[in-house]
Amino acid sequence: MKKIFLIISIAISMVTNAQVTKVSLQASGLTCSMCSNAIHKALKTLDFVDKVDADIKTYTFEISFKTNSKVDFNMIKRKVEGAGFTVSGFKATVLFNNVQIENGRPINIEDMTFYFVNTADQPLNGAKEVKVIDKGFVSPKEYKRNAVPDSGPHTYHATL
Amino acid sequence: MQQLLFIVILLISLSCKAQELFSATEPASNMAAGSIGFRLDNSIMNDVNSSRTNYHLIPEILIGVSKKLMIQGNLFFSNRNKTFSAEGGSLYAKYRFLSRDAVQKHFRMAAFGRVSYNNSDIHQEEINMYGHNSGYEAGIVATQLLKKVALSSSLTFLNATDNGNNNKFPYGSNNQAINYTFSVGKLMYPKEYKSYKQTNINLMVEFLSQVNTGSGKYYMDIAPSIQMIFNSQSRIDIGYRSELSSSLLRTAPNGFFIRLEHNLFNAIR
Repeated sequence: MKKIFLIISIAISMVTNAQVTKVSLQASGLTCSMCSNAIHKALKTLDFVDKVDADIKTYTFEISFKTNSKVDFNMIKRKVEGAGFTVSGFKATVLFNNVQIENGRPINIEDMTFYFVNTADQPLNGAKEVKVIDKGFVSPKEYKRNAVPDSGPHTYHATL
Repeated sequence: MQQLLFIVILLISLSCKAQELFSATEPASNMAAGSIGFRLDNSIMNDVNSSRTNYHLIPEILIGVSKKLMIQGNLFFSNRNKTFSAEGGSLYAKYRFLSRDAVQKHFRMAAFGRVSYNNSDIHQEEINMYGHNSGYEAGIVATQLLKKVALSSSLTFLNATDNGNNNKFPYGSNNQAINYTFSVGKLMYPKEYKSYKQTNINLMVEFLSQVNTGSGKYYMDIAPSIQMIFNSQSRIDIGYRSELSSSLLRTAPNGFFIRLEHNLFNAIR
C-alpha cells in the first residue's frame, strides 16, 4: 500500500502543473520594419514556436507554442539577439494548477526552473503573467535594479 | 555650404522615423545572423575629361555570419576600358563590438576591413577600394539611432597598392588616405507602422571626404539619396553624388548611383 502511495505521489509530482501558453516580448534597438521582420522571421525558425504576431508599432512579438512542445526562453532570447537586437521585456503567460510559490523555493515550469523574486508567497491557479527578470530579458537598467544572480541556462528569476 | 546645412537641418527637423541603411556608407549594425543579401550597385558617373559616362556595376553578396559579424564579397565591372568588363573584386568584413540598445534607440560601434583587387589602370589621385584601386582599408563606424533619425560617422584608413595587369600606382608614396564620413537618414513614410507590407521611404544625406596622408590633398562630396523598402525585405536606393570641394585629381566625381538589394532571412542553417 505504501508503495502504491509512493508511485502515485511520484506520478503526481511528474505531471506538469505549470504550462507556458504564450510569450510576449518587447525588442529594443530598432525602429525600421525590416529590422522587425528579421526578428519575426528568426523567431519563426524555433521548432517549438507555432505562431508569431508582431506589433511593429510597439516592437512587441506575441509568440504561441505548439502543443506538447518544450518551450525554451533562452532560445527565444538568442533568436532576437541573432537578428541584431535586444530583448527589453519578456512576459510569459503560464497556466498554473495549484502551485505554491515561496521566496527562494524553485518552481518547475515545463523543463525550466523558476525562482520568484519580490513576490508574496501564494498559491497560483489559472493563467498568470510571469515576468522574467534575468540578464538579457529586461533592460540593463532594470537588470541592475533587481540584481538577480546568473544561474545557468534553464534557471530563471521572475516576478508576477 | 549654408544651403547644405539648411538641407541637413530641414531633414532632421522633418517628422517621421529613421533608417540607418545608408546608401553610400555602411552603418555599425549588421544584418541578421544566418541571412543572405544580394545587392546590385550601379554608378553612372560623368567623366570630367570627356563627354563619356563611366558605368560601374558591382554585384555583391552579404552574409550574416553571427550576431556580431557579417561578410560581403563583390565583383567590379565597368566600361572604363572601352568595353564593359570585369576588373576585380573585394572582400569586406564588419564586426560590431559595441551595442547599447533601448526601445527605438541604439548606439553601436563596429570595426571593418576590406581587401580589394582591381586590374584597371589608375587614373586618379583619389583612392577608392570600391571599384578603382587594389589595396586594403580598415576603419571604425559609430551609429546612433534616435527614434526617427539615424546618424552615422566613420573613419577609414586606406592603403593602395599597384593594380593588377601591370598597372602601377602612379603617385609614388601618396598611396595612403583617410576617409571620414557623416550620414543622416530619416524615414518619411509610413507615418505609423501597420504591416510588413508597407513601403518605407527614407531620405538620406551623406558627406563623404578623403584626405591623402602623403600629399594633404582632399575631397569632400555630398550624396543625397532616396530609399524605398518593399515588403520589409527588398530595397532600392537612388542617389546623386556631387563634389563640393576638392584638390585631388579625380576623373568622375559626379553622378547617379542606384542600389538594388534583396534579403533572405534565415537562409543559412
